[in-house]
Order: sequence, then structure tokens, then C-alpha cells
Amino acid sequence: MGTNRAFFAVITLGVLLAGCASTPVQPWERGRLARWDMRWDPDPLQAAANEHAHFSKEGSGGHIGAAGGGCGCN
Amino acid sequence: MSASKLSPSLAALMGAAAALTSAAHAQTAAEGGTTVGYRFNEYGEDSFDGAAIGSRERYKVYSQQFQLDTRLPNNAGLDVTATHEVMSGSSPWYVLRGADARPVQVLSGATIREHRNELRGSYTIDPGTASSTTYSASYSQERDYRAGALGIERSIPLNAALTLGTGASLSHDIIQPTDAALYDRVRHEEKNTFSAFGSLAWVIDKNSVLQAGVQLNHEDGYLSDPYKLVSVGSDILPDHRPGTRSNAAVLLRYRHAFAHPDAALHLDYRYAQDSWGVVSHTVDVGWYQRLGQGWQLIPALRYYSQQEARFYAPFFGVDEHRFFSSDYRLGTFGAFAASLNVRKRIARWEFSGGIERYHAAADYALGSADSAVPGVLSYTRGFVGLDYHFD
Repeated sequence: MGTNRAFFAVITLGVLLAGCASTPVQPWERGRLARWDMRWDPDPLQAAANEHAHFSKEGSGGHIGAAGGGCGCN
Repeated sequence: MSASKLSPSLAALMGAAAALTSAAHAQTAAEGGTTVGYRFNEYGEDSFDGAAIGSRERYKVYSQQFQLDTRLPNNAGLDVTATHEVMSGSSPWYVLRGADARPVQVLSGATIREHRNELRGSYTIDPGTASSTTYSASYSQERDYRAGALGIERSIPLNAALTLGTGASLSHDIIQPTDAALYDRVRHEEKNTFSAFGSLAWVIDKNSVLQAGVQLNHEDGYLSDPYKLVSVGSDILPDHRPGTRSNAAVLLRYRHAFAHPDAALHLDYRYAQDSWGVVSHTVDVGWYQRLGQGWQLIPALRYYSQQEARFYAPFFGVDEHRFFSSDYRLGTFGAFAASLNVRKRIARWEFSGGIERYHAAADYALGSADSAVPGVLSYTRGFVGLDYHFD
């Protein structure tokens, strides 16, 4: 039930986003968006290490961003 | 190894989500160079300070990561990452009912010493654009655990502001516990994981981007932890969990660039729920501050809260449950983490380093805990790194 609610919440958000996106940012205006520190995960190696540490010690699998595979935990 | 670990399939998938979304908000600077990177990480858990039997010295992990990220002539990108870890220390084994029904944590001996090697590769067509396709593969091996995963991801621009990301992956894990005969553990078990996700990334304005996504994950096979035991009545029995687990999560990520001060704000939120009854919330806040002359300072905070699985308890009465586990990672707890990273760019070299303090406690959870979680932990982690950019 919660899963369904979450799914429909995101779909609704997506529809809202689509409706809001009426004044697109031009390519020459995207300089700041292209910066290293505006990436979702600026340092993939560090992001992988972070997520591996956090989620090998927590019970809810899945995460935001990149992570290491395998196990390496106890 | 641990049965509640992050599956490599899901890890690959969400790595893909990260890769997709840099293209998803149509960042225009498709980096064309080659970068090699190295990181050394040290992780150390605090000694156990509650009522316990066994060694109180918990886990330490030293890991090294190597990365090659390069462009190929046919407008494709290749990313290869190798990881080597050395792990040692004791870990929660099972929980006894002490005086006044208070839990007494039993820890394994501090003799565990394991190595893990992982190789991960991805091949991306049209990297750095809003319409890229990535194929990925990974393999991880420990003495008692092997895992392989394959994945595919695709990003599709819907219009100038919106990009759709989709992906799926499969993984196969093989578990062969050490000392199986000595401790009457399972000899050979396997599990499969299927993951899928979809996301929408929106360029809000010239300073901010937002991503919303859903990820689904289904595991099938041996999902118990062969190294953990459970106190059931007067017996000590192996950890016993259901053979399937489905997980759904919603992700929201926001980035905002500031001109004054010259910085970027990162806000992430994740809600997850699974078929075992575990519900979690994760909030990450990061501030990427540029200081001039190639210096960058990155403070960050993280909060995590989860509600326990239906079959979690520190110990059980006789025939109380069909499934039972006293793994603290399935209990109710919350955690705060604070980190500070520093980066310095000098010509083609880039140095980095940082430290994180993570503190978990049952009291930090949203809502109340039904059961005690004696094994919950805190740790300190640090890293140093070096990158070289060829172009």
C-alpha cells in the first residue's frame, strides 16, 4: 500500500514537473549547471565508499547515488 | 558477509541512476578527458560499550579504490573501478536474555580477517548527453561470498527541461560460509536480485535542478545471515528470514548553485519500504564551498531512521514466530552523520581528503521502538585521495 502511494506520488510529481517546464533554460545559460559540484555525485569513488559504509550497517537496501557492490561487511 | 548487505545489483543500478542524471539535466560540458583516481579509506567502529559477552573490539576496514575514466574514439566512455578491502574485528552474533529481561549482546571472536576484491566496469554511448545508454557489469569476491551483476540504463530527453531515466539490472550471489561444518552453518546458498528504476530530472532554472525517481528491488533466495544466531526460548537457532524481499523507494534530489558565495547546495531525500516491514527515511544535506585557488570545502550532514522488520527482536519466546532475526540492522534505530571533505586542485592533480563521524542509537529513530537494539553502532571513517586529469 505504501509502495503504491510512493509510486503515485512520484508520477504525480513528474506530471507537475512536466507542466511547470514551460520556460526552458537555454544551452548558453547552463554554465553553472555543468559545474563539477552540481553533479548528483561529484566524486563517484567517494560516493561509492560512503554508501557502502552506510548501507552495510543499515537495514533498508538501496540508496541515493553510487555504491560498492559485493559485501565487505559484517 | 552479511545478508542485509546492499546487493550489487542495486548498487549498480543506483550508480547508473547517478550517471544517468548528470546527463539528465543536460549538463553541457561533456568532459572529454581521461582521469585516473585513487582513494584510501579507513573505517573503524567504536568498541562495544553495553552488556556483552566476547570481544568488544568491533570492525575495522581498510579499503583502496582505483578508477580509470576515459573517452573512447567512437563517442563512448569507459569507466573501470577496482576495489580491495581488508576487514577485521568482531561482530554481533546473537543476544541473550539477561537479568530483568535486559539484552546481553554476544559478539563473535575478534579473529575475523577477510579480504574483498571488486571489479566494476561501465561502457556508455554518448556520455555527458541527455540521451545516453550505459551497459555495466560488476564482480565481487570474498572467501565466502561471490556476486556478479549486469545492468543497462538509458536516458531519454523529453523536452529541453525534462529527461527521463530508466534502467534495470540483475545480480546473482553465491554464499559459502566459512567453518560451516564446525558451526553447523549452511554450506552453499544462492540468491538473485532484480532491480528497476525510473526517474525524471528537471532543469528548474539556470541555477537549480531537481530529480524524482522510483526504484524497485526484488530479492529471491537465501536472505538469512549464516553467521548470526537467535535466542529462541532456551535454544540458540540460526537466523531465519523469508526467502523473498521486495523493496520500493522514492528519491528526491535537488541541486542549487550560488554565485555569492560561490557554492552549491545538495539536498537528497529517500523514502523506502519493503515487504519485511522495514521503513526508512534518509536525508542528506551537503554544501560545496569554493574557496579560490583550487580549494574546495565540503561539509555535509546525514540523518537516517528505520522501523524494524516484523520478525526482528533481540530474543524470542518458544514458537513465537515463523521467522526470526536479532540482527541489529533489522531493528528500529536512527543515525546522525557529519562529514567534512577538502579538495585542492593543482594543475592536473587533484588532492582530496575527509572524515566522517556516524552515530546511531535507538532513540534517534522516528517513532518508538518495539524492541531493544543492543548491537547498534557508531563509527569514524576517513579517506585521502589523488586524481590525475590527463586533459
